Amino acid sequence: MATQFQNSTSENPEGLKTEEMILNMGPQHPSTHGVLRLVLSLDGETVTHCTPVIGYLHRGIEKILENRPYMGGIRYMDNADYLSPMLNETAYAGAVEQLMGIEPPRRAQYIRLITNEMQRIASHLVAVGTYMLDLGAFTPILYAFRDREGLLEMFEEIGGSRFNVNYMRVGGVLHDIPVGWLQRLETWLDNFDKSWQELNTLITGNEIFMKRTQGVGYIDPEQAIAYGMTGPIARASGVRYDLRVNKPYGAYHDIKTEMVVREDGDAFGRYMVRLYEMRESVRLIRTAMAQLPGGPICTRTPIALRPPRGETYFAVESSKGELGIYLISDGSEYPWRAKIRGPSFVNLQIVPELMRGHKMGDVVAILGSIDLVLGEVDR
Amino acid sequence: MNIGFEIVHFVVNLLFFILLISTNAVIMVYAERKVMAYMQDRIGPKHYGPFGLLQSTYDVMKLLLKEIVRSRDTDNSVFIVAPMIFFAPVLTAFVMLPFSPFVTQSALATGLILYVALSSLDVIGVFMAGWGSNNKYALIGGLRSTAQMISYELPLLLALMGPVMLTSFVSHGGVGSISFTDITHAQLAPSWRWFVLLQPLGLMIYYICGLAETNRAPFDLPEAESELVAGYLTEYSGMRWAMFFLGEYGNMLIVSAVATVLFLGGWSGPGADLAFWHRTVTANPGGIFSVADIIFNVIALFWFLVKVYILQFIFIWVRSTLPRLRADQLMQFAWLILIPFTLANILITAALLLAVPQPYTLWVTGIVNFVLLAFFIGFISRAIGASPKGELPPWVKMRQQNLARQAAISAVATPRLAKPESEPEMARR
Repeated sequence: MATQFQNSTSENPEGLKTEEMILNMGPQHPSTHGVLRLVLSLDGETVTHCTPVIGYLHRGIEKILENRPYMGGIRYMDNADYLSPMLNETAYAGAVEQLMGIEPPRRAQYIRLITNEMQRIASHLVAVGTYMLDLGAFTPILYAFRDREGLLEMFEEIGGSRFNVNYMRVGGVLHDIPVGWLQRLETWLDNFDKSWQELNTLITGNEIFMKRTQGVGYIDPEQAIAYGMTGPIARASGVRYDLRVNKPYGAYHDIKTEMVVREDGDAFGRYMVRLYEMRESVRLIRTAMAQLPGGPICTRTPIALRPPRGETYFAVESSKGELGIYLISDGSEYPWRAKIRGPSFVNLQIVPELMRGHKMGDVVAILGSIDLVLGEVDR
Repeated sequence: MNIGFEIVHFVVNLLFFILLISTNAVIMVYAERKVMAYMQDRIGPKHYGPFGLLQSTYDVMKLLLKEIVRSRDTDNSVFIVAPMIFFAPVLTAFVMLPFSPFVTQSALATGLILYVALSSLDVIGVFMAGWGSNNKYALIGGLRSTAQMISYELPLLLALMGPVMLTSFVSHGGVGSISFTDITHAQLAPSWRWFVLLQPLGLMIYYICGLAETNRAPFDLPEAESELVAGYLTEYSGMRWAMFFLGEYGNMLIVSAVATVLFLGGWSGPGADLAFWHRTVTANPGGIFSVADIIFNVIALFWFLVKVYILQFIFIWVRSTLPRLRADQLMQFAWLILIPFTLANILITAALLLAVPQPYTLWVTGIVNFVLLAFFIGFISRAIGASPKGELPPWVKMRQQNLARQAAISAVATPRLAKPESEPEMARR
């Protein structure tokens, strides 16, 4: 480790020495979004090299999943990407269902879609808000959290907990929708249309914001595919890849998603994709609420799930990208192997490549636009 | 001049300054938190005192009682002296501000120059703090701050030249003044002609430079929390940190006060003007003051403080609205936009004052300056931001052109560019 971060010195013709400065950003730093550590080599204010160091939040979630019954593992998925627990749970429950060959009832699938899209809005709100905080604007994050609070309250009503909801089950969902919940959601959506517009007018046209983000951290489509980028980052680079469209699962078969794609490929494009995805999610929720079928919310499954021997890979479109769960079953109550394909982890790969040559002020602009959640990177 | 008057004058002024400096920070911290809370849909402090009024008092008590921590590697003498060097010029700069005709500590003939000199001394304290902390974040913060404050010093001074030129015209003798008192008087007798009406561009640029001088958003790079943790303040704690904090708020007050004096007519306002006019006509030298004089001074003080706090409110407003610029963009903004504009402003104002015949001079100057201001604002938004309206950015266009060129080449060339390797690899998996 020590030799890896050696200072490099250079001498100019007059014999004056300049030395690259090694700067440790993190793991305790206001804008690394958790405990990411970046080792930056600085030439003046220009970044010449960047090494991300991860693992400070490793809790061994994959190993825990292998030591819990299938139903018990769902709760631990909440902690992986702690900004979108509903999506994680859907991925894990969906993987087990695929392994066992269960199809959840239609109502459950629709409820999953509604909660997933709510969670996507919540996650994107945090992404946009914290991004603006990184860029020095204090207000948007508070607007974003105000709106997110409404969503979390509704999660509390439906699942019993604001954050680690533990709401999905193998074969369906835990509770049916409470009385009056849909009306409250409708009211929230109507309010959110206004606050979305508020965020848009506050941030999008701002000259300083444009100057800070346009052309910063440009990823071209080939690069995005080569690095395995998914989610808003790939879509901001013009890659038409969204699992809800390309490989629909659950209720996304019935309700068609319109993909939000931009050609920019820079931090601004990523921000715009997130902003407009929120509006698309609102549309999806409205459609799903209008078409919400009746019937049971969960199939009858045995308490001890024993899937047949085999392996499976199931992926959902998380707020950060493709969230895949790979399970190997040996026929017992416990998965023999559980692997999470975390989008944040994969998206982190490109960070050193992006940082090189940028100014130090751009480091946070790039890192914030990637929207990492360290809980998912380290697992 | 009698001795009694002088003593009263001195004591009143001293008390006023001490009270103002010590309470301004407290008021501003509370106001900032409450105003920002209001703008951000939250409540703000509310637990200590009615409406949380005692919150900043408690903050100060906490800071006073806090242990002063110092890391082992700090350059001790520099580290300890830095906050004082930062704070001293701020205190000194209060001396020449005319808050009202009576509450003026020293009617210096060179007030403007002294103010600029003192405000550029601050940078030494900041740089010493950054260097003495022996911390990488603090060092970067200190260096950034040095570069920033030196760059913004120039347009700040140049923007202040407008009012000085105007005094030379207004005072009929053809001799301008850089004394704050004279500049205030030039703006009120015989009728209102606040220089903001004649030099709006000057006020705008001065205010922008003031934001940069005081290291406030959107120019708060030296202490950019998201990049540099706390910039040059990283290693400071307790009362030493509070010195920087007080100095920053004192700087805000001074920037607002100077803007008030130079552009917003100082202490003039309804009531104060009339009294001043009356007093100069029926002048009673010797400084014996009556009840009417006291009332007049209170009114003048009131208008001055109202203007100052409106300007400080805009500081808070800007902070809660705008994101932060990047270091190189900040420099670019100072050298490529502000300085040319201030120079043009000086040239145009001077030419107009010389060329336009007497009764229309001020009208023409003011109108031309408003046009310049509109042009300036349009230019900034054109120069800083690209348009969000659906147009593809240049680098994407360039890439698409390259792709098209490659496609054209590969269509002509041998089909070696197809990918033969990808399929066996897939098969291996």
